[in-house]
Amino acid sequence: MQSEGIDSSKLEEIEKTATSKINTAPDNESLEEVRIGFLGRKGILTLALRSIGKLPPAQRPAIGNQINAIKQRINTLIEFRKNEIADGGGDEEPYPGDPSLPGRSCWEGGPHVLHKVLREIKAIFYGMGYSLAEGPEVELDYYNFEALNFPPEHPSRDTQDTFYVNRDILLRTQTSPVQVRYMEKHKPPLRIISPGRVYRNETPDPSHAAEFLQMEGLYVDKNVSLADLRNDVTYFVHALFGSNARVRFRPHFFPFTEPSAEVDMTCFACKGEGCPICQKTGWIEIMGAGMVHPNVFKYAGYAPDSVTGFAFGMGIDRIAMLKYGIDDIRRLLNNDIRFLSQFWNGPVSEVQD
Amino acid sequence: MKVSLNWLKRYVDIEESAAVLAHDLTMFGLNVESVETKGPDFSGVVWGKVLTCNRHPAADRLSVCTVDAGRDKPLHIVCGAPNVRAGLSVAVAEIGAVLAGGFKIKKAKLRGEVSEGMICSETELGIGDDASGIIELDFTLTPGESLDGRLGHSDILLDIEITPNRPDLLCHFGIAREIAALYNRELRFPELLKLERGEDFSIRIENGNDCPRYSAAFIDQVEIKPSPEWMQELLLAVGLKPISNIVDITNFVLMETGQPLHAFDRDRLSQDSILVRRARPDEKIVTLDGTERQLNDNVLLITDGERPQGVAGVMGGQESEINPGTKRILLESATFGPRAIRRSRQCLKMDTEASYRFEREADIGVTVEALERACWLIKETGAGQPSLHYADNLMDNSALETRRIELRVAQANRIMGTQLAADDLVELLDRLGLESREAGETVVTAVPTFRRDLKEEIDLIEETSRVYGYENIGREEERKNSLFASISVADRRNEDICFYLASRGYTEVITSSFMDPQDITRFEWSRRDPRGNPVKLENPLTISQSVMRTSLLPGMLKVIGRHPVPDREGMRIFEMAKVFLRIDDSQGLPEEQLHLCGIFTGKTAPLNWAQKQRSFDFFDMKGEMEALFRKLNNYSDIEFVRQKEREPDHICSILINNEKFAECGMIPSRIAGRYEIDLPVFYYIIFMDLFPVQGFSPTRFSYISPYPGVKRDLCVISSDRITFSDIRTVIKKSSKHLEFIRLFDYYRGDHLGEGKRSYTFRLGFRSPENTLDDKVVDGIIDRILDNLQKKLQVSLRTE
Ligand SMILES: [Zn+2]
Repeated sequence: MQSEGIDSSKLEEIEKTATSKINTAPDNESLEEVRIGFLGRKGILTLALRSIGKLPPAQRPAIGNQINAIKQRINTLIEFRKNEIADGGGDEEPYPGDPSLPGRSCWEGGPHVLHKVLREIKAIFYGMGYSLAEGPEVELDYYNFEALNFPPEHPSRDTQDTFYVNRDILLRTQTSPVQVRYMEKHKPPLRIISPGRVYRNETPDPSHAAEFLQMEGLYVDKNVSLADLRNDVTYFVHALFGSNARVRFRPHFFPFTEPSAEVDMTCFACKGEGCPICQKTGWIEIMGAGMVHPNVFKYAGYAPDSVTGFAFGMGIDRIAMLKYGIDDIRRLLNNDIRFLSQFWNGPVSEVQD
Repeated sequence: MKVSLNWLKRYVDIEESAAVLAHDLTMFGLNVESVETKGPDFSGVVWGKVLTCNRHPAADRLSVCTVDAGRDKPLHIVCGAPNVRAGLSVAVAEIGAVLAGGFKIKKAKLRGEVSEGMICSETELGIGDDASGIIELDFTLTPGESLDGRLGHSDILLDIEITPNRPDLLCHFGIAREIAALYNRELRFPELLKLERGEDFSIRIENGNDCPRYSAAFIDQVEIKPSPEWMQELLLAVGLKPISNIVDITNFVLMETGQPLHAFDRDRLSQDSILVRRARPDEKIVTLDGTERQLNDNVLLITDGERPQGVAGVMGGQESEINPGTKRILLESATFGPRAIRRSRQCLKMDTEASYRFEREADIGVTVEALERACWLIKETGAGQPSLHYADNLMDNSALETRRIELRVAQANRIMGTQLAADDLVELLDRLGLESREAGETVVTAVPTFRRDLKEEIDLIEETSRVYGYENIGREEERKNSLFASISVADRRNEDICFYLASRGYTEVITSSFMDPQDITRFEWSRRDPRGNPVKLENPLTISQSVMRTSLLPGMLKVIGRHPVPDREGMRIFEMAKVFLRIDDSQGLPEEQLHLCGIFTGKTAPLNWAQKQRSFDFFDMKGEMEALFRKLNNYSDIEFVRQKEREPDHICSILINNEKFAECGMIPSRIAGRYEIDLPVFYYIIFMDLFPVQGFSPTRFSYISPYPGVKRDLCVISSDRITFSDIRTVIKKSSKHLEFIRLFDYYRGDHLGEGKRSYTFRLGFRSPENTLDDKVVDGIIDRILDNLQKKLQVSLRTE
């Protein structure tokens, strides 16, 4: 044993002492004192480096490297502490000893629940080979009604109370106008989804809003059938609500599809047993769908017999309401931050730090 | 539309329970929205069968029975009725059921024998006076099935959603026809009093589009009295108030056949004739509801040739109204054009059962049959003596022809995804009353007048799919995969930005597309400003929602204003959405621009023991924007310039290559005040359409120097005519080894001298080739100072 010899564990001890002294140095002067004490001409580490010659040759390089590394780290620490002192942090303890104190926090944010649900839906359809298409919200009567096979002055227009800008221009009541706009510009085959805002001139109540999000789907090819429609819609419902959800197609009427259907899924609340939410039917309507009407193909400039296709449309607000059991559609546009934040910050009932 | 189950049963056998029928109709395309039971409540009363019946060991007049009521084990019931015997179908009140008069069934012991329910008599159920014995049911159900709606005068109402293409379903007979098709059952037609054409009566029609057909029947010796009880019951069930025999019969026929009828008191007509014409602007009429109405030439009238006697297809007139003294009747059964009725109805703001049906195109082929039906009822109930001749003016004979449609078998299978044969299709169509026959590769169908909604092949394909059953189509079909998705880069960029902002602590909001015209005044936008000239709605919900938004700001401020003051401690919200500017395109549509708006108010961070809270300010916002711009584009020259012409102190435009890409600033407090906000509010609006859709992405990676960098601090003094941006540009151009410039102190105190400012920078240098030594860095610093002095008269701060 060499009494004044230096070894690895001694060096670690030295680094520990230095670190603690640096971190508690209250000002630049005392910091400089610490620096001189360790790194100065007669500093502990300088002396240690000089004494390296007393070690057996085989140990010298390792100990030398260790000393240099420690010197570098101490330098960095001093630099860091200097900045802290300059920032006025000098009188705070760097680690106050109670890890249960809350961390420094920033404001938290997150996406709107409607967009969160819409993104999930889009991702499912992207996976199925649908591409995105868009259209204007202030739309021509032509695309919203006429080209979708709504006869002029026909009562079927009454089922969709419309906001008008003038005789020819309106706020679209559905995302379906995108169908014709897209087909005018693209040749089949095509498979698109088109989400967007739509407008209905209805006095808002818990289940009706004057503006809401809808999403259209359209698939046109040589031999697309009702069977294909059932396939895609069923896949979608299983992907979004789980494969236990059952889907059924009920005949219905839309001017721009024929045959047309309304699509129901098993009630999320009672799993089909029947409850007040589903009006005891066990089923909940989630979308309208059908085979594209030949007249719509004519308006789009396709030879009607050359292709067949299906289309569907769903209310994103409605799906979000079903998914989260939201009781009133108006909450979705009310933008109460306490309502919105529960979808990314946890339930409102939880106490926030 | 509400239909009565009892009424439907007049035309078709219905054995199914209401619940089953409602489900089956719904799946057939007639969406049953609700099922409602009218009359006595029989909940807890079920159909049962007596299995055994033995004398009570302790009481002569009692029997001990076992009854199958659908439970696991037969019920043990003690019964006192003399007519109870094994094999009988009975009404069983289970334990818990509440009978007439509130009598509740409990488990009981009768002279030592347990009784688990009661076999009911008419009085116990409150449906009759016969208390002498139990009811012997003459129909069979599954044991345990509810007797709701199957006993006494009770009825079940189905509320069915009728889509506008199916006017034929706006009546009981039409619904019954669908039920017959659904279950493949026989349909019973209502009884008619056969009438001959040829009554000598003048019916003139001004325009065949307004009124394609007008038929009339004539009744003498009318005796006004109440209608028969069975009719009153049915009318009441569907919500019509019985009035008198003649009025009730017209209503009954309307609800039965869908054809609106109107009865005129023939003696009150000023001339014995009918003329259907448009009203003249100076005319008036008092309608049956007692209202005097000013007319114009949009309104179609029934006149007697001289005076208006009714608004055609909407409501009759008071002048010739049926009254207790009426002796002779003219019964109208006409077809009016949907557009004419729509205009009349809109003009007079009246909605009636009749107008609703005419607007959806009433069946032109049924006018005479409806008269014959009414006459049969009038004769049968002794309401009067119908003439055996009717009068009829049919403007175009071809209107009654059946329409022939050819259905290609291959096309039907192509659309449905099925492999049906021609005769399968014929069978499916026949069930709906659509007479069809096979013709090689096609099926030819003759469409009767009541299904005018069937116009072409695709309509027949829909009918065949419906009868075949959507649920039977395509269970095993494989998904075709000829197409692959292309993800929209713009959409993905927008989603990325939204996620990014959410992670920076912003809450995403979705505000209304509508704006209040008042918002324009509140924001002081002039009419020349596109924001001051919005797209207006002709028929808004309210004035405050009457224009399309031209900016996201008003909606965003309202979100803040809606939160109570204590909740505004730290609000950072954003929305990415469309605004509508009147830069009309060739089709007259406004330009829809995608904007991103961020709004900040309150503190920069939540209250926390370890950090100082301070108010959000302009440079916090600028920092937000700078970080965002790095995600949106890779232009380096983003300039924030004051928008001098308007709000010199508060608002900046953000220029990239001299084009305005965004705007930011503090909302002037007088404007914020108009939204009930008294804290400073900072905002930015970024015009998303102006940025490249892919967002920022480098084309190649950059080389990272392995050598250490050097830092130097530098303090300079300048005049206030020089901006930070000028100084930064000079420094940047002075050295290729410059890695960063951090301004960490800025000062404009008095002792510097009038109009002087001092800036302290930390500059970082790094070379890709070697470690920079002090001499080289000193040289760079000298060059920087030299350039600053020469170009900007900015000098080193010395004291
Ligand atoms: Zn349910």
